[in-house]
Amino acid sequence: MTTTLAGGRAARRQTMRRIRPRRSPAVPLVVALWAGAAAVLWLWWDNTPSLADNTAKILAAGRITGLLAGYLMALVVLQMARVPALERRVGSDRVARWHAMSGRYTVCLVIAHVFLTMWAYALQSGRTLGDVVQQTIDSVNTLPDMGKAAIGTGLLFVIAFISIGGIRRRIPYDSWYHVHLLTYAAVFLTFWHQITTGNEFAVEPTAKTFWYGLYGAVTALVLWYRVITPVRLNLRHRMYVEAVIEETPGIVSVLIGGRKLHRMGAEAGHFFRWRFKAPGMRFSSHPYSLSAAPRPDMLRITVKAIGDHTSRLRELKPGTKVWAEGPYGALTAQRRSRGKVLLVAGGVGITPMRALFETLPGASGDITLLYRANSTQDLALWDELSAIADERGARLMYAVNSPDGERPDISAERLRQKLPDIDQHDVFLCGPPGFAQSVYEALRGAGVPARRIHHESFEM
Amino acid sequence: MRKSHPIRRFVLAGAATVSGIVLLLSLKPATDPASAQAAGGAAPPVAASPQGGAQAAGSGTVTGDAARTQYGAVQVRLTVAGGKITKAEAVQAPKGGQSDQVTANAVPKLNQAAVATQSADIDAVSGATYTSAGYKQSLQSAIDKANAAAGAGQGSGSQGSGGQGPGEQGSGSGAAQARTVTGAVSQTQYGPVQVRVTVSGGKITKAEAVKAPSGGQSTTVTANAVPKLNQAAVAAGSADIDAVSGATYTSAGYKESLQSALDQAGG
Repeated sequence: MTTTLAGGRAARRQTMRRIRPRRSPAVPLVVALWAGAAAVLWLWWDNTPSLADNTAKILAAGRITGLLAGYLMALVVLQMARVPALERRVGSDRVARWHAMSGRYTVCLVIAHVFLTMWAYALQSGRTLGDVVQQTIDSVNTLPDMGKAAIGTGLLFVIAFISIGGIRRRIPYDSWYHVHLLTYAAVFLTFWHQITTGNEFAVEPTAKTFWYGLYGAVTALVLWYRVITPVRLNLRHRMYVEAVIEETPGIVSVLIGGRKLHRMGAEAGHFFRWRFKAPGMRFSSHPYSLSAAPRPDMLRITVKAIGDHTSRLRELKPGTKVWAEGPYGALTAQRRSRGKVLLVAGGVGITPMRALFETLPGASGDITLLYRANSTQDLALWDELSAIADERGARLMYAVNSPDGERPDISAERLRQKLPDIDQHDVFLCGPPGFAQSVYEALRGAGVPARRIHHESFEM
Repeated sequence: MRKSHPIRRFVLAGAATVSGIVLLLSLKPATDPASAQAAGGAAPPVAASPQGGAQAAGSGTVTGDAARTQYGAVQVRLTVAGGKITKAEAVQAPKGGQSDQVTANAVPKLNQAAVATQSADIDAVSGATYTSAGYKQSLQSAIDKANAAAGAGQGSGSQGSGGQGPGEQGSGSGAAQARTVTGAVSQTQYGPVQVRVTVSGGKITKAEAVKAPSGGQSTTVTANAVPKLNQAAVAAGSADIDAVSGATYTSAGYKESLQSALDQAGG
């Protein structure tokens, strides 16, 4: 008895030595964002001595919205540049939500900028608010780079339109994605009028340099992390499909071979964006988590066949070439701050949890996995999980609907009853949005602080 | 994983943005405090260029201040001999992209025009509106420096070249009988307008705008209207000039500042 206890303590100390939680850089990044916005507003403030009347005020509002839109446009692109600090430390899901949020806000600013500026110009030319359209046509024809800007703005509106929730759901993901890529063209086209007609930049070389620097840096990051890095990764590792295995009805695992796969920097909990060079799958990439810790010669993803793409995975032929971008995601051991860990998986959300369950350092009894599925037949990878649990002395629990279809009870009381020291745990959570939300609330109710609940959600 | 409230967030973001912008706008004064101060005081003296003193009334080169245009800086260097401009050249002009062609085309013409007219009152080269405006601005600055140098040389009297008594002209800023007077700043809704006139023998020999609205459409309007107004002021010899169509506010501001300059010159 004593020996086991001592052994347990030693093992725990061993574990704790390897736990170095890394704080997400989200807060400093948001502070930098606001500081940048303040600097941009200062450009306007410094360059505007006075506002004599309403026309001048409307024009000034047009300039402010334009400056902010130009600034945010660069950041919206930056958020999708797949910068590792954002993807792996803030989390791809969170950055994607920031991107969607700031994208919507930017489009609103662009609308305000176009309308206010053209309204002010119309008033300056002795016209009225009703002549805004005519004024816009005149300005596009006479001012430098305004033709390009008009095309860019048009593109931006198309992109914003197809991204509206209801419309986006009706469009196949691939089409939506490819139209969305036109954002780069839109940003390029609208950039030039900012420099040539923007009052702040026409007269102030420092401001112009700052603007070129901002856009130049974003362009460099996009080229580096979205083009050069994936090309190098794939040239180095040359991945291909090794085998496709049906785990349960509707859930398949794809085994991916390649060279030196342990050198990709992938950890349990990471995902890659996969592109399979097979008919109908070549042009779209999809994010799937690794369902096992990476091995030098093998990676594995496990996918639920729900969409077009996922169903086609089943027909993949061994040998098919694979193009992967990654690793991305922040749901890794780096998030951990405690010795004890509870992993909660809903349905196919088991994939990253399965990899973590295998690799998270911990003594016997430190790691617990709670697996929720519709029925025991839907518990994909169950045999592997049991084997890991036996080997590591980890706890494995599942919750399925009762035969009459009733949902299992995952409430704060029930969690506390099963795991009395649940408030001492780090919790990793992955599953469908509704499930994740309800489990999150139950965990909070059971006394787990929010900073120790780590989850990834790709719902926007 | 807090619950998201898209509509609440949308309303909050909109309200915060609108109130932020309204706050910024309301913090800006209706008139420019700096230029109001300048308008209250006398016209700012034209600074005598230090290197010009050595070349008083004789020959030498004078370089004007660089004028920033939206395509780049323009800076003019004049060679003056016997009080006349014998050569004008641009030491800086916009470069890169289309600017190379525009500069190659426009600058020689502007140089010739400067020598021919002996003043900064030259026509803009078509297709090079901004470069022309910058050129004229820098040219004027060079002429002012040359005049100031000549005036300083005469004022000191030590060269003995002119034989005019010191102080006879009163102002050290004018060459020979010419006097440069800058009018008060007139605030228009698009920005301040300020006119400088050169008065010689009781007549306006030159009028120019040292301040005019710029940015966006204003740049175009200013480039069009100001040269016309300058010409009109010289032709009329008074502030009783017609407004340029399409530039009503700029014209009004111009006339007001011109009148102020003429009042100072007369008084």
